[in-house]
Amino acid sequence: MKTSTRVKFQPLIAALRAEPLTDRVPDELSGSYISDLLSDVLAHAKPGTLWLTIQTHRNVVSVAATKDIAAVLFTCGRRPYAEVIAEAEAEGIALLTTPLATYEAAGTLWEAGFR
Amino acid sequence: MHLAPATFSDTGAGDARKISVAQVLVYELRVRDAMSKPPITAGPADSLRTIQELMRTRRISGVPITSNDLLLGIISIEDIINALTRGYIDDPAENHMARHVVTLRDHFSLVRAVAEFDRHEFGRFPVLDGNDRLVGILTRGDITGCLMQHLERRAEEALAVEAALRATKKADDAADRVVVRAHVRTGDYDSAGRVSQRMRQVLRERGVDPEIRRRAAVVAYEAETNIMIHSLGGEIIAAIDPAKVVIEAIDVGPGIENVEQAMQEGWTTAGRLPRELGFGAGMGLPNIKRCSDNLTITSDNKHGTYLRSEIYIHKAGAPT
Repeated sequence: MKTSTRVKFQPLIAALRAEPLTDRVPDELSGSYISDLLSDVLAHAKPGTLWLTIQTHRNVVSVAATKDIAAVLFTCGRRPYAEVIAEAEAEGIALLTTPLATYEAAGTLWEAGFR
Repeated sequence: MHLAPATFSDTGAGDARKISVAQVLVYELRVRDAMSKPPITAGPADSLRTIQELMRTRRISGVPITSNDLLLGIISIEDIINALTRGYIDDPAENHMARHVVTLRDHFSLVRAVAEFDRHEFGRFPVLDGNDRLVGILTRGDITGCLMQHLERRAEEALAVEAALRATKKADDAADRVVVRAHVRTGDYDSAGRVSQRMRQVLRERGVDPEIRRRAAVVAYEAETNIMIHSLGGEIIAAIDPAKVVIEAIDVGPGIENVEQAMQEGWTTAGRLPRELGFGAGMGLPNIKRCSDNLTITSDNKHGTYLRSEIYIHKAGAPT
């Protein structure tokens, strides 16, 4: 799922029943990408997007920073360690977690008009 | 002296608008900047013989006659010659001095002074301030000397600026090159991306185009994780200069068995743990290749793998 329009993030957070893990979340998103393979994200994710993944280790932050990804949404209720959150804060990347599985989360985003 | 304003009225012709430094200076500089001061003067009661002696010892050809700083007249060398020939050298100055003296004001521009010299053909002008007090003497020689002095100063300033620029440039060139390096340990998945992170910071500070920044970051990150996942350990070095980023990844083995195969997307030799962490997608080298402007990989089982990637900054760079 890739989009190029800029979408307000706040309504999507509510729809996903997502919990922000970092102090700040971006106002807008330019698209989304889903993958649990880091190199795949490095190859295909666009800057300013929302990345959905089940990976929670600190390389997620490194990869997100490498591609200027705006926010990472951990699905299936996964949560990273505190040090990963701290690193994301330092890199200016928002982290969120949702109880929804990746497929459900993607569907919810689609239904909410984030296409 | 040919600093005549005529040069300026010529500006209609072609690119005669190009004005020399000397021409600018004659407009900028004032009579007070060039005049000799304090003036050597004599009193109205002083004898012409005294004045003759003054001219001889001070090597001047005209002496203003003043009383309380007010100009009464002037005695020139011609007046002295006449006095000698006609035998009145012991008369007081006031009997023979020229009383209608053309003067300059100290605030006049030098270009105006030059015009006065041309018009009157005098060798010198007494210079008066705003209160009519005699404050100096101006000769053509004073003007030339003053201009030479200022031209010299400007030239020295220009040389100093040039030297300073060269020195700054040199310092910049040295500071412009930043090398970030780190040892990479096998299986140290938690440390991946350290070089990439520092490199991104440098590139961001330099205002490098975000797309170029991201490409360099992908190369550094993939190269670093490759060492971590596949090798027995190694080193990653990112050298950043204004024109390009050069990323080198060197490991101690065991080497890539088939580089061509490794360049194919999806082909991986990564073990289970790295794959669970999301590494080993078989996209590392293809990603590096896609993001590099120039890529070389050499690998054998004796020396390990050497990867060198160049990413050019010049296009949208605008490094600050």
